[in-house]
Amino acid sequence: MKKILLNIIAVCLLAVPAFGQLDRSKAPEPGPAPEINLGDYESFTLKNGLRVFVVQNNKLPRVAFNLLIDRDPVLEGEKAGYVSATGDLLRRGTANRTKDQLDEEIDFLGANLSTSSTGVYASSLSRHKEKLMELMADVIMNPAFPQEELDKIITQTKSGLAASKDNPQAIASNVQAALLYGKDHPYGEIVTEETVENITLDDAENYYRTYFKPNTAYLAIVGDITTKQAKKLVKKHLGKWKKGEVPSHEYPDPQPLEATKVALVDRPASVQSVVHIMHPVELKPGEEDVITGRLMNEILGGGDARLFKNLREEKGYTYGAYSSLSSDELVGKFTANANVRNVVTDSAVAEFMKELKKMREEQVEEEELSSAKNYITGSFARSLESPQTIASFALNIARYDLDKDYYKNYLKNVAAVSAADVQRVARKYIQPDKSYIMVVGNADEVKAGLSQFGEPEMYDIYGNKVKEGALGDITAEQVIDKYISAIGGEEKLSRIESLTQVMQFSVNGMEITNTTIKEGGEKYLNVTKMGERELSKMVYNRGEGKMVANGQITDLPSAQLAGLKSQAYVFPELHFDETGMEFDLRGIEKVNGKDAYKLVMNIPDGDKAINYFDKETGLLVKTEASGMNIEILSYKDREGIKMPEKIKMITPQGTFEGEVVSVEFNSDVPDNAFSLN
Amino acid sequence: MTKRLSLIMLGLVLYFGAFAQNKEIKFEEFDLDNGLHVILHKDASTPIVAVTVMYHVGAKNEKPGRSGFAHFFEHLLFEGSENIGRGEFMSMVKSAGGALNANTTQDRTFYYEILPSNQLELGLYMESERMLHAKIDSVGVETQREVVKEEKRQRIDNVPYMSFQEEIFKRAFKEHPYRWTTIGSMEDLDAAEFSEVMEFYKEYYVPGNATLSIAGDIDIEETKELVKKYFSEIPKGDEPFRPNIEEPEMQTEIRDTVYDNIQLPAVFQAYRMPGQGTDDYYALNMLTTLLSGGPSARLQKRLVDKEQKALQVAAFPYALEDYGLFITLGLVNQGVPLPELENAMNEEFEKVKTELVSEREFQKVKNQIESDFVSSNATVAGIAESLANYHVYFGDANLINTEIERFNKVTREDLQRVAQKYLRPENRVVLYYLPKSEQPQSETADSGTEKGK
Repeated sequence: MKKILLNIIAVCLLAVPAFGQLDRSKAPEPGPAPEINLGDYESFTLKNGLRVFVVQNNKLPRVAFNLLIDRDPVLEGEKAGYVSATGDLLRRGTANRTKDQLDEEIDFLGANLSTSSTGVYASSLSRHKEKLMELMADVIMNPAFPQEELDKIITQTKSGLAASKDNPQAIASNVQAALLYGKDHPYGEIVTEETVENITLDDAENYYRTYFKPNTAYLAIVGDITTKQAKKLVKKHLGKWKKGEVPSHEYPDPQPLEATKVALVDRPASVQSVVHIMHPVELKPGEEDVITGRLMNEILGGGDARLFKNLREEKGYTYGAYSSLSSDELVGKFTANANVRNVVTDSAVAEFMKELKKMREEQVEEEELSSAKNYITGSFARSLESPQTIASFALNIARYDLDKDYYKNYLKNVAAVSAADVQRVARKYIQPDKSYIMVVGNADEVKAGLSQFGEPEMYDIYGNKVKEGALGDITAEQVIDKYISAIGGEEKLSRIESLTQVMQFSVNGMEITNTTIKEGGEKYLNVTKMGERELSKMVYNRGEGKMVANGQITDLPSAQLAGLKSQAYVFPELHFDETGMEFDLRGIEKVNGKDAYKLVMNIPDGDKAINYFDKETGLLVKTEASGMNIEILSYKDREGIKMPEKIKMITPQGTFEGEVVSVEFNSDVPDNAFSLN
Repeated sequence: MTKRLSLIMLGLVLYFGAFAQNKEIKFEEFDLDNGLHVILHKDASTPIVAVTVMYHVGAKNEKPGRSGFAHFFEHLLFEGSENIGRGEFMSMVKSAGGALNANTTQDRTFYYEILPSNQLELGLYMESERMLHAKIDSVGVETQREVVKEEKRQRIDNVPYMSFQEEIFKRAFKEHPYRWTTIGSMEDLDAAEFSEVMEFYKEYYVPGNATLSIAGDIDIEETKELVKKYFSEIPKGDEPFRPNIEEPEMQTEIRDTVYDNIQLPAVFQAYRMPGQGTDDYYALNMLTTLLSGGPSARLQKRLVDKEQKALQVAAFPYALEDYGLFITLGLVNQGVPLPELENAMNEEFEKVKTELVSEREFQKVKNQIESDFVSSNATVAGIAESLANYHVYFGDANLINTEIERFNKVTREDLQRVAQKYLRPENRVVLYYLPKSEQPQSETADSGTEKGK
């Protein structure tokens, strides 16, 4: 007995100093690796062909329904954007419920329900599952396609496009798509204001009727629900959804590059270049190389990986540099990207190329590889916390026809990858010598440096090649001269000292009147009114200017004053000597489908404006300045001078069309109209 | 590494921890002798564990002239310790297969690692190193000073309307440290000195001011022993300083214009409200859901969908420990004067004051709130953070299960009453956000800030 007691005391005594002697110099070793269990799922198919997966998880009393329409990519052509608009429209009214009713009923459940062109997602507390499924089925089977809602969607899409025109990331994503896949490939199509305007209700309804069929759809049900309950619910609400034939589409593979090409998009305002090194790859989901590729990419361009360490931590070129290798049923891609300061753009490209080549030429270190394996294993385990992960595994296995144990064996396959495998995959999927080096940035500052990688070719923001060669001998001065003769000739124009022009346009159904008065390069007035109410006013009088908006009077900022100095001339193009404006011919770009000369106008002490002159007619067709685009759609003869008639303003807040309703030349304007008080 | 400052707008609506219908979250709590509070929650469904430490220190503990210091300091605690080399914090966690981050608010600072469950001990080791003997040298201070300033430029100065926190709080509070922002000013960040860094560490990073909250696939008894192993030796330290500053009530409306790098004018209103956890707070929280929680909510339906006066509208409670703000905002559509939008929003507030909300609409709000709460307990990291929040703010971690009862006590009459009591013009700050191009020149010259560069 005593002995036993002594033993216990001895153990205690031993235990205590063990705490005191904690060795903090080394991090503790991990325990044995935990078993990572993939949750189970069950599946069934309705008579109409709808395949349903159920992942039961009772941790929270919630349920989510995710319908996925599995169709081939669709080529939209001149109506690009209609597929996505159709997706939005589904949520905006059914044969049984108006949009208001849908909004209220969904919110009343404390639920979410969102739609897209390839599916519907809904979630709520599980006790509302019956009602939620009823609403979801109504949206899937009985969309009403109200015209007024399509109109709203078109307006909103155009506002979004206008706002993104100045966004370098949005430009990069457009141009990347066009370069990698070509514009006749569904992945390479670009949505523009013009294509959005072509969308009709018929397009939306046709799309819906063609592709929303149960036999090409999957429904994943996740959460606090049994398979039996799910089956009953789905049969009741989606059992009557009619199946039908769905067309399949095939597209030619994009041509691989023969050599590296430098593609440059000029964005004169940029202080940072968006750099993408990229090329298409042939890598389909589930192929053996996908897992090795993920490890390879983690080492090259994951968080805190080679590119990040080199370009950010060592060189300080950027806030972050990354790469990605993505698989796809049609065509995958490899990209490496960063946003870098203008002056280091070419150095950054050189470092990218160095790292990509190194990845191909040298085997990775064992330690680097095992750290990447641990990271991927950890991420995989963490992702399993969400039951949605199991559902997406089930969907992927079905959609891509993967081995049924693909995800069960995933980590085993990660562990088996060797350094030699990584190098083999790097050689196959990273092609620094056959890639696009795409840069969106300030061409003046970065173009020369980039030519060491190949002669830069210029692209516009929609991925169209800028026809620099086609400029021929024409100079900027000649473009201006051609414009002056096109609207009436210098002699006629120089007789016009003052101008009063009234324009009308409609905004959200309200009539807005805009009056501009210009006098001899000295005075300028611009007033916008809604009915009798003045919305805003800008006055310029011999070097001074004020602005009235929202009931407040403010002085005009200097950059704007500088601009008005030139705008106070009826035809500023005749007065470059007085205003000191400089201009630079940048190439030919398409405006509304027609070739136009692009001229960058530099206002001394002011902002830049970009003017486009039609190659054929010589007329000014578009102006870009301070975040707003103005297109002149037509001209009208006014006393022998062609003046703008129909005008389109594209602003971040929307696109507005206006018409010039009156033009007066050399009429008397009372001096107090330009009063600054 | 991106260490995020909690700059939550709409996220704040969902900020509260959670409860789960009939699914109680079980946990154990205990204190070490040095005052460290420990909360353990076992959830074996995924083999991961979240190791988190919440320090009850935030921007409100900063001295005047040192705004941004608490968040700056958070960055410094990733620099390393006596035993962890500079820059190794991130790579150690990553090669263990984990993720880590931290964030700072006005009231508290929160650090976490999410690790495979067999790496629990690594998480405890790292957090105890951080608490016991963080190592901060002048190189680290200067590097992180630049990183934090970069973070301010990128996340606030260059983001349209994001200056709203600074602009609103400095007008809504005159005495309380809530008058400055968590990210601080460039000037104050530049002024922070190395000697102050260690003072701050000694004052606030003591076990008695910290809550270690662990959730995931753990063995409770084993974890208790491991916690003792790593944290017992950390000295107790002194009671930290806590400011106790009363902010007098607002007497008149404050109305101002802010010029920012934006395209669309916007109106912000901020009404002073009591701190989180008070009865009126719960009613005001529900009121924001009534106004802007979902496509059928009053402001959305009328102003965005029907009248299209606004591109976007929102109402949310900016909930803090001592006081809060009830914030509403609207971005106008082209051609709509700002006062017109503001008036329409005010009409909706008046309607709440004069007409009792219908039973159906009130039930809708309750359903939405319940749904949000249930969803917020989806991850072990979220549960660990909620448990720590409830303990730190209310001294009752079990509110993770019971807080919904406080919402359920709110009546329709309460919504009307708090609207009348708080949504008064003399209790608010109103800001008009206008594009910089409309800024008067004299003001341009005066405001020599770095904003927008």
